[in-house]
Amino acid sequence: MIVAENVEKRFGDALVLKHVNLRVEPGEVVTILGASGSGKSTLIRCINGLEALSGGKITVDGHDVSTKAGLVAARRASATVFQLFNLYPHMTALRNITLAPIEVLKLPKAEAEARARALLEKVGLGAHADAYPQQLSGGQRQRVGICRALAMQPRYLLLDEVTSALDPEMTGDVLRILAELAADGTTMVFVTHEIEFARHISSRIVFLEQGELIVDLPTAQFFAEDGGLAVPRIRQFLSKMKKD
Amino acid sequence: MRFWRVIEPHIGFLLQGFALTIAACLLAIVGAVLLGALTASMRSSGNRWVRGAANAYGDVFRNVPFLVQLFFFFYGLPELGIYIGAFETGVIAMSIAGGAFVSDVILSGIMTVDTGVIDAAKVSGLNRVKIFTRIVLPIALRVSVRPMGSVLINLVLTSSILSTITVNELTGAAKIVAATTFKPFEVYAVLLVLYASLTTLLSFAISATHRRLNRFMMGG
Repeated sequence: MIVAENVEKRFGDALVLKHVNLRVEPGEVVTILGASGSGKSTLIRCINGLEALSGGKITVDGHDVSTKAGLVAARRASATVFQLFNLYPHMTALRNITLAPIEVLKLPKAEAEARARALLEKVGLGAHADAYPQQLSGGQRQRVGICRALAMQPRYLLLDEVTSALDPEMTGDVLRILAELAADGTTMVFVTHEIEFARHISSRIVFLEQGELIVDLPTAQFFAEDGGLAVPRIRQFLSKMKKD
Repeated sequence: MRFWRVIEPHIGFLLQGFALTIAACLLAIVGAVLLGALTASMRSSGNRWVRGAANAYGDVFRNVPFLVQLFFFFYGLPELGIYIGAFETGVIAMSIAGGAFVSDVILSGIMTVDTGVIDAAKVSGLNRVKIFTRIVLPIALRVSVRPMGSVLINLVLTSSILSTITVNELTGAAKIVAATTFKPFEVYAVLLVLYASLTTLLSFAISATHRRLNRFMMGG
């Protein structure tokens, strides 16, 4: 379980996260919605320890990410997929995926490669194992990014606007894979602007507004007239997103 | 012909010197690159003491003439009770001086590495050393390797200064031959060719390394 309690994050004078509370149970798909700059990505970066908290506490399966040992264990439990892929540019798709399993999980090379090839096959990139990131399209790179995360066999998958840099067709490819993962019961924390998709795969939706988590509801209720839509800010946000 | 008549009796001695130059350069290149990479990693560290120590090393050895550094080691080490040969002293001095410049070009490469890529490596659980050696350094080198080539070529040329501490490398051998034959022009013409071929070879090696490190940037 991922638990965020009273999480506060400052960048200088700016308070980017204000007393955020969030729980993610195994098996859940929790989508974080909110305008650009509302703190969605920062929250993900606090969970995986890329940003240090200014206040409050985050634990992943009981491991406190603000301690050294806790962070190692927490990172072992989760994996992150990034908006701009962040693939290792000097390594092939296969090496991108096998590096951490070999170095961190200490898997034998042959086993790590067999698993990586199976993952690439699953996302339709079986023929591109030896391609370098530069030789792949954005959608293909992001699918490699997903394989790289899955290869660590994480209990929690953290997805930070993973389709924001992709055109609609490539977005479709990536979302299809995420939908399959959700159907398989993968626990996900999903920051996105793809509202329709979020509605489709999420068990819960939370809404961040200027660093405050103002709504946390099961998906059906979030989109109900007497639920999330009763909150003026959310009604406004959703109507704007539909127009785009 | 006249030229060859002058050189021929001494060619074996000159080539011995050339072999010594090659040996000193190869060892110093390895030393300078290792020391430069280590220093660059320290200069990009989050710890200000580590950063400060590495910066101090770079500043001192880039700002003092190599001849002075060389004499400092050659005459200074015995004062400290450390007795090593002139050749070893020369290689160490070249490694230290070269490392200061190499760290500069590697550091500039490190600063071009996309922080997102480092984030990905961090969250995957790789430790700092692995992140540096497997991710940061190889990416940094693909931009650093060319300017590093200039530094290393300069290092090869600098090796001629070892002749001042009794190492009869190529220049040292040439001085002796020139003094005994009174034909400095012929002798130094040979040196010109030998040094140029050594540095040209190094240039080719640098270009090949650059191509290899950047191979993933081509195609598509």
